[in-house]
Amino acid sequence: MSDASLTAAGGEGPIVLSQRGLLKSFAWLSLRNGLLNLITLTLYRFWGKTEVRRRLWATTYLNDEAFEYSGRGVELFVGFLLALLVLVLPFLCIIFGTQFLGPVIAPLLVLPLYVFILFILGVGRFTAFRYLATRTSWRGIRFHMRGQARGFGLAWLGYALLSAITLGWFWPAADRRLAGRLWGGLSFGDKDFDFDIDAARRERVYGAYVLAWILGAIAYIVFVGVIVAAMYPDIKAASEGGRPPAPNTVHVMVVTYSMLAVFTPFWVIALAPFHAAMLRSIVAGIGFQGVRLHARVKWYEYAGSNLTNVIFLAVSLGLLMPFVEARSRKFVIRRLEAEGGFDLDAIGQATGLRPRTGEGIADAFGLATI
Amino acid sequence: MEGRFNDGKTSRPQVVQVWLEAEVLVFHVGDERRWPLEAVRIEQVDDRVRIGLDKGDDPARLSLAAADWIALTGSAWRHHQRQRRRLVGLVAGLTATAAMIAGLVFIGIPAASGPLARHTPPELERKIGENFEGQLGLGFRACAGKPGQAALAALGHRLGEGTGTPFDIRVRAVHAPMVNAFALPGGAIIITDQLINLAKTPDELSAVIAHETSHVQKRHVMQAVWRAFGFGVLLDAAVGGGTGAGQQLILLMGSASNLRYSRQAEADADAGGQALLTAQGLSSEGMAPFFRRMAEKSDGKEAQRVRELISDHPDTLRRADASVARAKPGATAFTPAEWTAIKATCNDGYDPLKRVRRLF
Repeated sequence: MSDASLTAAGGEGPIVLSQRGLLKSFAWLSLRNGLLNLITLTLYRFWGKTEVRRRLWATTYLNDEAFEYSGRGVELFVGFLLALLVLVLPFLCIIFGTQFLGPVIAPLLVLPLYVFILFILGVGRFTAFRYLATRTSWRGIRFHMRGQARGFGLAWLGYALLSAITLGWFWPAADRRLAGRLWGGLSFGDKDFDFDIDAARRERVYGAYVLAWILGAIAYIVFVGVIVAAMYPDIKAASEGGRPPAPNTVHVMVVTYSMLAVFTPFWVIALAPFHAAMLRSIVAGIGFQGVRLHARVKWYEYAGSNLTNVIFLAVSLGLLMPFVEARSRKFVIRRLEAEGGFDLDAIGQATGLRPRTGEGIADAFGLATI
Repeated sequence: MEGRFNDGKTSRPQVVQVWLEAEVLVFHVGDERRWPLEAVRIEQVDDRVRIGLDKGDDPARLSLAAADWIALTGSAWRHHQRQRRRLVGLVAGLTATAAMIAGLVFIGIPAASGPLARHTPPELERKIGENFEGQLGLGFRACAGKPGQAALAALGHRLGEGTGTPFDIRVRAVHAPMVNAFALPGGAIIITDQLINLAKTPDELSAVIAHETSHVQKRHVMQAVWRAFGFGVLLDAAVGGGTGAGQQLILLMGSASNLRYSRQAEADADAGGQALLTAQGLSSEGMAPFFRRMAEKSDGKEAQRVRELISDHPDTLRRADASVARAKPGATAFTPAEWTAIKATCNDGYDPLKRVRRLF
């Protein structure tokens, strides 16, 4: 059991948040899910993901009671099919259809479509969060979301465009605001969460972001430079009328994967101070009925955890993802602290929008969390 | 047995006494609750069991120590067994669906792509081709030598006339840093300057143009477009664009299936191209020497065989051997003057790799 880190002087005494259970069980679950995914051409993944969440929630305790995840695989499956039919298939058809329109009209249709996709990604992020909230309960009391997916989608679109215009410099502020919209719109039964953006801003993130941006830019240039240099003999030979270039040769693949092996740890370490700072910032903004949270996450701990996660994933070709998710959750929960108190027996059930299907949009675009 | 009950209305738990009456869990919380064992869903949480009603959306939960639950029911295994039966049924259903998808990927879509291509209105294919040409024009600049371009275009027209294709065969030489030639939907054929440099005789170049003309005649490119569309939709539906190893494996299967059909189309176009040359009274003996030269410029024999597995073209030496058997003598496709013009058509001083070279 990872120890209590969430303490508050509420009417009912200290509040304890903890992660119990052995990570080993998630390793076995990873193998089982991987096998079933293979024989079902990955169609099992919706049920596999549900089982992972159910076990993750069942090992996360608030005081004496574990959370419960009540989502079902078939909800995720139907959500995915709906997103496929309503969004992805029309999108593919439009892209295919533009081939008939000629080189001038096609971009005029495709560009607005990509802007729309950005908006839809935001909508998907919100609906995925809402689905998780509505399928999470504690002592039979459910979480739910206030707010509209459309508003979040528009904010996401605006922030993404602003971030692009500013070469990424707006992204930390955008990330914090988007997290604020999600966490600030969350309710636990009849009690609302809030998000204090000023408290979040007091946890500085831009210093770490400057470091990540500069190191990231340098690493990217070096990475691309090495790949181009590795391909240059082929390009040169071709330009001199010699052998035809073979851009997919084993040689280039070996260089690319070797570079990835070198650069991925570098990326993880370079980004760790920013990611840790952003985690501290977002958690500092989250409040629940006077209880305020803090994440005591040091960047080097974060880097260590992420590096080992990357190794697990690389060695297992992604198979150990459930195990890595359990590790990551344990890592964060062990570092959470709380100020203030609240009577956890005094929460009533509330009715909120309870979607029937899962995070189809987010899943269809590879955005679904956990 | 003592249990904890959450009524789903407030978070305050209530201590309740639970007993079993004829396969029904009974407890009192103001009123009497009766939950038949067949209707409950259980979840083991550490050393306790969380019990709720399986159907519907009732958030009420009863929590018992796991040992008490087993002592009370003596048949906890039955519920596990039911859940296991569900899992087996689910996996069997999903595996059957997966087998159907695999069948579509390997057999259905490739088989349908031929008839679909044949029934695609030529006007539609022309429009697709125009779009492709527009996109290619951004990367590959046409060679400036007009007499050479005219000679290439004339051979295209001549070969196209005998095919019965609804498309006007339009052959064009472009600057590109590769030895290649390809047919686009709607009749456009692109030949790179590197390929013109590599061709030693008019027969070699006319063999390449005939090969591409055969692709147009058989509407291979349109077949490939339909196959790509089918694979894209189906595999996206199946794997959802994920990045896990399983998903990548399935995408690889789709890709392998596609490559298999591409290689078949290339072999068909070799034979078809030689037949077109023969029908026009032209020599079809240039194909084999050109393929041999391609192989010499490339890796050794073994590397060629290995590369064939991951290529959309058959092994070059194998193609050369096959084309020798089909080759027939005939007239040369280009006059000496035309051949000289073709060889000079891309000598206009343009270098597509100039910018890249400057970096080094």
